[in-house]
Amino acid sequence: MNPMVRKELNLRMRERRGWILPTLYLTAMGATIVFAYYIVTTERTAREGLQGATVGATTFLTLSYAQLTLLLLLVPVFSAGSLTIEKEQRTLAALITSLLRPREIWFGKFSSSLLFVGLLLCTGLPIMALALSLGGVGLVELLFTVLTTLLIIATISALGLYCSATFRRSVHSTAVSYAAVILLSVITLIVFLLLFSHWNSTHPGIPESQIPRVLRIPLYLNPYYFLTMGFGVAANISRGEWLICLAVYTTIAVSFMALTWRAIDHSGEQL
Amino acid sequence: MIHVAGLQKLYSGGRGLRSFDLDVAQGELIGLVGPNGAGKTTLIKILATLLSPDRGVAQVKGLDVVLEKQAVRKIVGHMPDVPGVYQDMKVREFLLFFAAAFHVPSVTRPKVVGDILQWSGLEDRADGDVEHLSLGWKQRLVLAKTLLHSPALLLLDEPATGLDPLARLELRRQLKELHHRGVTILISSHILSDLEDVCTRIVFIADGQNMGQTGQAAVSDAPPPPAPVIYEIEFLPSAQAREIAEGIAGMQVLAASEGMLRLSVTGGREQMAKIVSALAAAGVGITRVQPVSELESQYQQLFGGKQ
Repeated sequence: MNPMVRKELNLRMRERRGWILPTLYLTAMGATIVFAYYIVTTERTAREGLQGATVGATTFLTLSYAQLTLLLLLVPVFSAGSLTIEKEQRTLAALITSLLRPREIWFGKFSSSLLFVGLLLCTGLPIMALALSLGGVGLVELLFTVLTTLLIIATISALGLYCSATFRRSVHSTAVSYAAVILLSVITLIVFLLLFSHWNSTHPGIPESQIPRVLRIPLYLNPYYFLTMGFGVAANISRGEWLICLAVYTTIAVSFMALTWRAIDHSGEQL
Repeated sequence: MIHVAGLQKLYSGGRGLRSFDLDVAQGELIGLVGPNGAGKTTLIKILATLLSPDRGVAQVKGLDVVLEKQAVRKIVGHMPDVPGVYQDMKVREFLLFFAAAFHVPSVTRPKVVGDILQWSGLEDRADGDVEHLSLGWKQRLVLAKTLLHSPALLLLDEPATGLDPLARLELRRQLKELHHRGVTILISSHILSDLEDVCTRIVFIADGQNMGQTGQAAVSDAPPPPAPVIYEIEFLPSAQAREIAEGIAGMQVLAASEGMLRLSVTGGREQMAKIVSALAAAGVGITRVQPVSELESQYQQLFGGKQ
């Protein structure tokens, strides 16, 4: 086993946040399902003949988006500080001058970050399964949601690690990582809406389903769009869009991985 | 063991190394001395494969430190100026992690770590937390970590900084022992007395250049140059003391004040006895006569104007 992976996992689980974060995460997820269920099944809507499948699907979607939001907020905490902390506590020089290669150091940091987030995802599964019990969504939807969420989180982790390898201080690295998360989640959506609004005004009468693909480029970077397309993969509604998002996210993750290996190899200049 | 020629690594502001040359033979214990910003740490970092030079050659056992990094790391142990440790680990766990990082086989790892713990005196603290160690013990732990893969070359950057006298003595003992085992050691330090005690040769570095050395280089066949002994004489204020000293052959006045003379004496103790007698005969009230460390004196001569 890569000694970095073992070390990172051991140290991570010894930290106080090793148990505080799962507790907070589950509390937030629990609150979300209660809130979603309450909103969907208020007396007024229930009188309008609401079906269990609709309640289940709505609750599932709400939980999935809430879960992604929580994880997008948590991932930079783990990844963006993981190499800068080695610089701050002056242990990076010892790692670099050992026989560990940059890719092993990266893999240790990446896998521990991803495994911890994976642990959160797993602990949240019983709550997600509650939505399944209401109907409207199946196991395949759940699996694609978890897979898509993991892919998004892996990409954000790779991005955070790159920031961590580039910056000297955790505070700067984390700030830039959060800025990148906002760029991907919010700015891409705003850019798309502006482009769409312009296109809509210049092409009156054309249905929205015929929006040219080039206009959707910002959306392929958006994690929420990627997740939304994941919901429809099983029913073959959005498989093409999901695959494009998958390609985009994989390219981003691999690019940042390669850049981080290079940055680790040259990080002696920062020490 | 080390071959450095025309090595250059400049930082913004002009600091760093400029055309630095150095050859170190197998088994030497070399001290690297110079003012702050002279380029000592830069040289050590380049040899430890942490930095890439702008220009020049740096080889360890014939291996290029830029092109053959991994091979160099197998034979080099690097101890930085500030000991970086994982505070959340146990002492033994810390060493086991680095033993794995240095590819010590898992079968022999516990024994290697046990031996290092015993050698470094950390055996009793093996199951304690790293964060509870004092600075001296942390230095020992980092030195122990540096030795896990039995490196042929040790690069130590200011290893005695911040250590109390007992820890410094222990470090000197460990360095001597490693030297007797045949490990080549390059050590940078500001504590000249420590270097004088342990080193076989001391190299002076300033403005990124090799300014000369003391001792006999093992790579050189030339006999060592005759080294004058520096003495300091303190006396009751006297206007004629300097004049008397300058009148005696084999003396060179290096520095003088109203109550002190610093002399370079080439004729040994007998010559020194002459000047003491001459000063006493002239009625100068001598209060103290003391030989000055050759290294300290040489350091002052070289860098006195730079600091």
